[in-house]
Amino acid sequence: MNLASLLSKDRIILSLKPGKKNKVIEDLVYTIKQGADAELIVSTLLKREELGSTGIGKAIAIPHCRSLAVDKLEIAVGRTTKPIKFNAIDKKPVSLIFLIIAPPQDPGNQYLITLGKIVQIAKELIKKKLIGKAQTPEEFITLIDQVEKGLKKGK
Amino acid sequence: MSTEIVEMHLKLLFDLDNLLNDMDEPAYKKIGFKVEEKEKQSLIKTRTDLLKKLPRATADIYERLKKRYQRAIAPVDNGFCFGCFQRLPIQLLARSEEIITCPNCGRILYWRKK
Ligand SMILES: [Zn+2]
Repeated sequence: MNLASLLSKDRIILSLKPGKKNKVIEDLVYTIKQGADAELIVSTLLKREELGSTGIGKAIAIPHCRSLAVDKLEIAVGRTTKPIKFNAIDKKPVSLIFLIIAPPQDPGNQYLITLGKIVQIAKELIKKKLIGKAQTPEEFITLIDQVEKGLKKGK
Repeated sequence: MSTEIVEMHLKLLFDLDNLLNDMDEPAYKKIGFKVEEKEKQSLIKTRTDLLKKLPRATADIYERLKKRYQRAIAPVDNGFCFGCFQRLPIQLLARSEEIITCPNCGRILYWRKK
C-alpha cells in the first residue's frame, strides 16, 4: 500500500492556522471525525504526546495512535502558516504535521508499517528541503507519491 | 453512573491500553519515536484511575477480558463481532444494559456511530 493512496485532498490543510499544539492536533482530527469520536481521538493522541513528543525534528511531527473511534486507517496532514511549538526532540518548532489514526484491530499491522513509512518519507522531505514545496493538496499528494517512488528506486 | 459516561471511560481506557501495548511492540520501537519510561508509568496510573471510575462489575469484566484476549472490546461491524467474527443475534440491539458482551467470545461490544 503506498502512502499517497491513503491521503485525501480534504484532509490536507496547507494553510493551517498556527496555535497551541493541542489546538492544531484538534483541528486536524476534526477533518477525520467530529463530536465524541473526535474528542476520544484527541485525548488519546495527547496522551501519546505526553509519553514523548512525536516531533521528530527539523519541523516535522507525526502524532499517532490507535482508537476505537475509527474503523480504518485515517491520515490528515497540516502545514502551519507559521511554525508552532511542539516540544520536538530538537527543541525546534514544527510546521508540517502528519497525523495518523488506526483502528484497534488491524490485520497485517498496516498501522506500524504506514507509520514507519511516513517517518521515512518525512526524513526525505527534510533532506531534499521539500516541506514548503506543494501549494495545493493535489500537489502535496503528487509530491508524496514522487518521494515514495524515489525511495523505492533507491533500494 | 449513566451508560454514556461508562461508555466514554471504557473507550478511553481501551485506547490507552492499546497505546501502552504498542509502546512495547518491537516493530514500534524500531520506528524510533521517543518514549519516556517515567511518563509511561504515569500513563499506567492514569489507566488504573480510569478503571476505578467504572462500576466494579464492569471494571472486573474488562480486566478479565484484557487478560484473556489483550483487547477487551470488539467493534461491531455489519452485525458481526470483530473479535470472533461471529454474526450477532439481532435481539442484542434491544438490550439496554451498561455494557453488552458478545454471546460467543464474551468481548465487550462497541457499535460505532455512523
Ligand atoms: Zn465475539
